[in-house]
Amino acid sequence: MDEKRVEHGRNSLVWMDSITKKFGTITALKDVNFGVESGEVRALLGDNGAGKSTLIKVLMGIHQPTSGQIYIEGKPVSIRSPRHAREMGIEAVYQDLALVNLMSIGRNFFLGREMVRQFGPIQWLDIRRMEDITRKSLHDIGIEVRSVHERVGSLSGGERQSIAIGRGVYFGAKVLILDEPTSALSVAETRKVLHYIENARERGLAVIFITHNVHHVYMVADSYTIIRQGRSVGTYFKGELSEDDIADLITGDREV
Amino acid sequence: MSTAVTQKSRLRSRFGLAVLRKFFAASTVSGPLFGLIVIFILFSLFVPKFFTFRSVSGILNAITLTGMITVGVTMLMITGEFDLSVGSVMAIGGYIYGTLSMQGQPGLGLFLAILIPAGLGAINGLLYVTTGIPSFIVTLGTKYFYRGMLWVITAGTMLQTVDRLPIYSVFNGRLNALNNLLPQANFRTSLLWLVLMVLIFQYILTRTRFGNHALAVGGNAGAALGQGVNVKRVRVLTFIITGMMAGFTGVMLFSQYYTVRVASGDGLELSAIAAAVVGGTLITGGAGSVWGALIGAIIISTLRTGVVLMDIPFIPADNFEAIVGVTIVLAAILNNYLRKPS
Repeated sequence: MDEKRVEHGRNSLVWMDSITKKFGTITALKDVNFGVESGEVRALLGDNGAGKSTLIKVLMGIHQPTSGQIYIEGKPVSIRSPRHAREMGIEAVYQDLALVNLMSIGRNFFLGREMVRQFGPIQWLDIRRMEDITRKSLHDIGIEVRSVHERVGSLSGGERQSIAIGRGVYFGAKVLILDEPTSALSVAETRKVLHYIENARERGLAVIFITHNVHHVYMVADSYTIIRQGRSVGTYFKGELSEDDIADLITGDREV
Repeated sequence: MSTAVTQKSRLRSRFGLAVLRKFFAASTVSGPLFGLIVIFILFSLFVPKFFTFRSVSGILNAITLTGMITVGVTMLMITGEFDLSVGSVMAIGGYIYGTLSMQGQPGLGLFLAILIPAGLGAINGLLYVTTGIPSFIVTLGTKYFYRGMLWVITAGTMLQTVDRLPIYSVFNGRLNALNNLLPQANFRTSLLWLVLMVLIFQYILTRTRFGNHALAVGGNAGAALGQGVNVKRVRVLTFIITGMMAGFTGVMLFSQYYTVRVASGDGLELSAIAAAVVGGTLITGGAGSVWGALIGAIIISTLRTGVVLMDIPFIPADNFEAIVGVTIVLAAILNNYLRKPS
């Protein structure tokens, strides 16, 4: 057990070392350690306002940590922006922050990474090529869409998640960050999304699964990091704790 | 339960309203175009003298200034923002171009009448992205500030010239090549500039990276940021475009009337927003088209001309504003219905 825990550290794929984040006088995060390995699904658990999204926004480069250091594949990095995070292979699959509902599937797939053709100073989007790749790469990982022209807003929650996951896989992400990916889904859709997550893990991707509900993640996660009131309660591996134990740690009904 | 819902919606989508909705939702321009055709046919059937080159060219000439400003305003509204300062910026552009062209430097005048408004647009954009104050409020402030500065610099004097410089007819002269062919027609060259700008910006919006990012920022700024779009840069650039288009509209204004007043263009900002909304732009951003906005401007102008020509005895022609008001609200309701997921 201890041996396995040792593997999370500076040499992990992602390691966030004693991250502190203050907003003015408010301390949102205090000395939080968090990491994830390739081929691992890591749950990030905490009640609303515990600091989960602040921690992830630090990893995404949306916030800069007040103190602490992030290591990617053992190298210290400072992540300046979401674009910078993505260049390092960190891909957000946020429920509301990953896709533009008013845009088509094809345009969403390549958002921020559009393919263009150029003639002198004039450039234009290579729309047909982007749509072909979208169709093909979604098909390759088992996602069928009616049409890549369809607006994302008309898809179900599960379909939206799957497109964001498929996009991350296609663009060679090393880390997928999922924020409450199953919270608003039906049972059948949840099962599908969990299947895509397992699929991503099998491909060697690291998955960070953020949720406040342990029930959503218990089946699929390899390890759990629990944070409460901006501090890390601890990291546990599959089989160490029951679902109820974890729920108690999230709410603070039980101390470690 | 959810399968029952999907089945129901699938069933519904096969028939009636949902099919129509899908058809009009597929393109940002089909709705406004359809509306324009219906209005045009109705007026042609029931209003005498409506279906003539004279009134058609009148409808189109009436929109060239508003239309040019609307091009920029529409790009900005698609990113989810407003610019209420465009009328003031247009007057500034008109003064710059008027003053310098009267001194024999129309080229420099044109250049500065676009460059300085670009700077004013950049001020709007930077104020917005750095303070986070809604653009509606920022540009409400700069609308008064810019016009106030114009008052100070010009001492409130009107600029007018009697010289009919040939350069003026380039931007807004009579389009005689076309007018000689069509009886009673009175088209102006400004119409060609407007069509050119609409084509350029429609291309930018739908076929370039920048346009794609503008649509994404308006649709969901958080997702755009998460996907690596430089949201602040897109916003500032769109404000700059809006300023430049307002400045160029000032050039066209002076070229047509040989006059610009400190109060010129007051209220144009709202006409531009109206045209954009009637033309299918979603007021919350993320959807719309430049050529839809052009059609929106034509719809409003057609309504005005039609109502004036109807010459209804007990309703004065000024009352067309009431009709425009109804049109705007109806268009906004329709846009919401078409663009928002059910």
